[in-house]
Amino acid sequence: MKPRLVIPALLAGAVVAAAVLAQPAQPARAQADEATPALPNVSWSFEGPFGTFDRAALQRGFQIYSQVCSTCHSMNLLTYDDLAGPEGLGYTEEQVKAIAAQKQVADIDKSGKPIQRPARASDHFAAPFPNEAAAAASLGKAPPDLSDIIKARAGGPRYVYGILTGFREAPKGFAMPPTGGNYNLYFPGHVIAMPQPLQDNSVQYADGTKATLQQEAQDVVTFLTWASDPTMEQRKRTGAKVVLFLLAMTGVLYGAKRRVWSDVEH
Amino acid sequence: MAVSQNKLVQWIDHRLPVFTYLDHELHEYPTPKNLNYWWNFGSLAGAMLMIMIATGIFLAMQYDPNVGDAFQSVERIMREVNYGWLIRYIHMNGASFFFIVVYIHLFRGLYYGSYKTPRELLWMLGVVIILLMMATAFMGYVLPWGQMSFWGATVITNLFSAIPGVGKDIVTWLWGGFAVGNPTLNRFFALHYLLPFVILGVVILHILALHQHGSNNPLGIDRKGPQDSVPFHPYYTYKDMFGLSVFLIIFAIFVFYFPNLLGDPQNSIPANPMQTPPEIVPEWYLLPFYAILRSIPSKLLGVCALFGAIFILFVVPWLDTSRVRSAYFRPVYKWVFWLLVIDAFVLGAVGAHRPEGWWIVIGRIGTFYYFFHFIVLMPLIGWFERPLPLPPSIAEAVLKKKRHGADALLSPLAPRGEP
Amino acid sequence: MADSAHSHTADAHASGGTRRDFLVIAGNALLGVGAACTVWPLITSMNPARDVLAAGAPIDVDLSSLQPGQQVLVLWRSRPIFIVHRTPAELTKLQASADTSLLRDPNSAVLQQPPYATNWHRSIKPEYLVLVGICTHLGCIPEFTPQPGGSLGPAWPGGYFCPCHGSRYDLSGRVFSGVPAPYNLPVPPHHFLNDTTVRIGEDPPNSTFDFDSIEQI
Repeated sequence: MKPRLVIPALLAGAVVAAAVLAQPAQPARAQADEATPALPNVSWSFEGPFGTFDRAALQRGFQIYSQVCSTCHSMNLLTYDDLAGPEGLGYTEEQVKAIAAQKQVADIDKSGKPIQRPARASDHFAAPFPNEAAAAASLGKAPPDLSDIIKARAGGPRYVYGILTGFREAPKGFAMPPTGGNYNLYFPGHVIAMPQPLQDNSVQYADGTKATLQQEAQDVVTFLTWASDPTMEQRKRTGAKVVLFLLAMTGVLYGAKRRVWSDVEH
Repeated sequence: MAVSQNKLVQWIDHRLPVFTYLDHELHEYPTPKNLNYWWNFGSLAGAMLMIMIATGIFLAMQYDPNVGDAFQSVERIMREVNYGWLIRYIHMNGASFFFIVVYIHLFRGLYYGSYKTPRELLWMLGVVIILLMMATAFMGYVLPWGQMSFWGATVITNLFSAIPGVGKDIVTWLWGGFAVGNPTLNRFFALHYLLPFVILGVVILHILALHQHGSNNPLGIDRKGPQDSVPFHPYYTYKDMFGLSVFLIIFAIFVFYFPNLLGDPQNSIPANPMQTPPEIVPEWYLLPFYAILRSIPSKLLGVCALFGAIFILFVVPWLDTSRVRSAYFRPVYKWVFWLLVIDAFVLGAVGAHRPEGWWIVIGRIGTFYYFFHFIVLMPLIGWFERPLPLPPSIAEAVLKKKRHGADALLSPLAPRGEP
Repeated sequence: MADSAHSHTADAHASGGTRRDFLVIAGNALLGVGAACTVWPLITSMNPARDVLAAGAPIDVDLSSLQPGQQVLVLWRSRPIFIVHRTPAELTKLQASADTSLLRDPNSAVLQQPPYATNWHRSIKPEYLVLVGICTHLGCIPEFTPQPGGSLGPAWPGGYFCPCHGSRYDLSGRVFSGVPAPYNLPVPPHHFLNDTTVRIGEDPPNSTFDFDSIEQI
């Protein structure tokens, strides 16, 4: 190989090798082993270097979270404020205040007694249980907080979509454990504590979209992806500017380097 | 020699000769003129150290080192602090890229014999830097207090219990409690803030040692005179800036488009001392050492192998018996070097997988080969290899290459001068 | 040969413009821009974060239980806010020239209050006074001493006394002459949602006031 190409080739190879080898072989990641099938392929509005969040999908997804998931799952890292504006779900300040006011949060009154009061826009999302122990006591197992769920699962959006659409009857010969559970195609070990949360028409969409299970799953996963990574769009926009600037600067600096070295045998 | 006509500069320089020193280092310090791009990685490492310190300081302004709040404080940085997501992602991916750069820099040294006399101490200071980097990175990874932070800390601190007699006490002392907990997190934060400045000090010593005899070069032969070198500025300053710019493109692509690719999803789950994750895996740059640790069935010997794998690097200058520096002229060692590189990648893959089935066998072979390379192959090859004849000087080699192509360097030259 | 290689480069530098060409200057300029753009996010990360700004949002205070002659203290943007329910007697005294002649800035000429509080009662409704309770001298919280006379002397009309260095203010927060404090106590943006609820941190609907523009908090 030409010496000149060795360095770029090795760098590129090292980067690719690093990326490939860096995938830890966790069972949840298994693309196609006998136990779990390959995760479903869905096309997301936010994938790719120029992906953005579909705001209509975000709002539908939030509706699903509010009406279905929030019965058991908290999202403690988000505030109602986060839903407002173009970087959020596109709601206005007034709409967000109204959304918040529908929920009750814990506080103390002037004499120090614990009370419940309507949430303000600056409050974090009202949680279904005051803490994990209460959730576990009520449901058997504490449902995970959903603020970071997309980042916290190998496979990310595809995995969560798979879980939501992967509930099936246990196949013949599969022994469900005595502690109970629900059969799910994509959950490692196939037995998940959560009962199937979504079906066709679990919600009536405010914008009139047909609420099939696939649509609901796609919308709520879009919302959850936003929740895990609300700065994604700013990140990709800034990235484009930075990479373009660096490409230009690299070109100029290469020329400068050649110029500087032009008077030396090397 | 007057550095500048400026009176202020002269006043300062007379009392503290920084300007004379800088002038010498930039304009007079002779650098071989035949350095290739593998020599850029030292300056890249320096740049990464600066980037890590800068981003780290600004993260530390917002981070809360207490177990109840640490995870949430990092999330707050990502979601609420202006450009917090950017500073965090640069710091997080910067650690990986710092290691990529330093590993390449290390392998460059192994290939071209940069550790050979009179640069033994330079090399050893480099190994000290890598050790400090590993300690810093390990403690830094604990700070977000995710599942992998907590359990990685538990596993690695437990390594010290392998020490006979005092092992358990040392572990309790490290923890500051009965298990990894708040005291551990607090002290890891303090030390994580401290060590980079220790690294900076050792880097300064590393550069001072380098400047004593100057850089090695791809041919591995000493500079004979001014015709073999160029002043560092502007030749290598511009080459380094160009290299930095290329590197930053790749770094930026990771930071902005794949910021979590090199990380572990488990660390986005808050630490739960009552639930171990299905796999406990360190960050990728520690995987080869993790593989070596796990491939020895004995706890104490596994720990010894782990530390041995790093400490053996200290004695490389004495393990290699070749009188020729650069692998360019060492036909056997050249290939053996690449076997070591492949071994490092294989060990990395082993470290990433559960220790079952074929992975155990491969891990053991890889570990064996790693030590075999240093303890057996390096000395033996040095003794028995017949190196190709060295060119008489850098300048002549450069001219020959330009006129007859790179391969001409490998053919015997008319005997002239000493290697 | 060696010398020429070295002096060649020296020439390049000495001759200034000839080799200092566009690419080198452009490269340096881009590096400078890049460095500045890299430093900017670090610097701006130190500005108040979104949640800190949200915590500075207006607060609503219920005044129904605040008796005449009483003061309540609330926190807005981490600062102590005095809300006083003044008696008619106190309001009459505030307009008396005998007392106003002792003040440094009786007409609130210095910008320490919004336009709708630039009057003798320094508020919207005369009976309710809203002040930022931070002494304009060096930042202590003045004590509420509405009773005339007492330990402050027979001429004391009632108001605020700062224990740190002895600054005094009247019951509209106006500073007396001859004390260390230079300015009247600031009045924050506020307006009444209804007769018994005041919102602190927000101007009345048809006025805007930049609270950061005041002279001294």
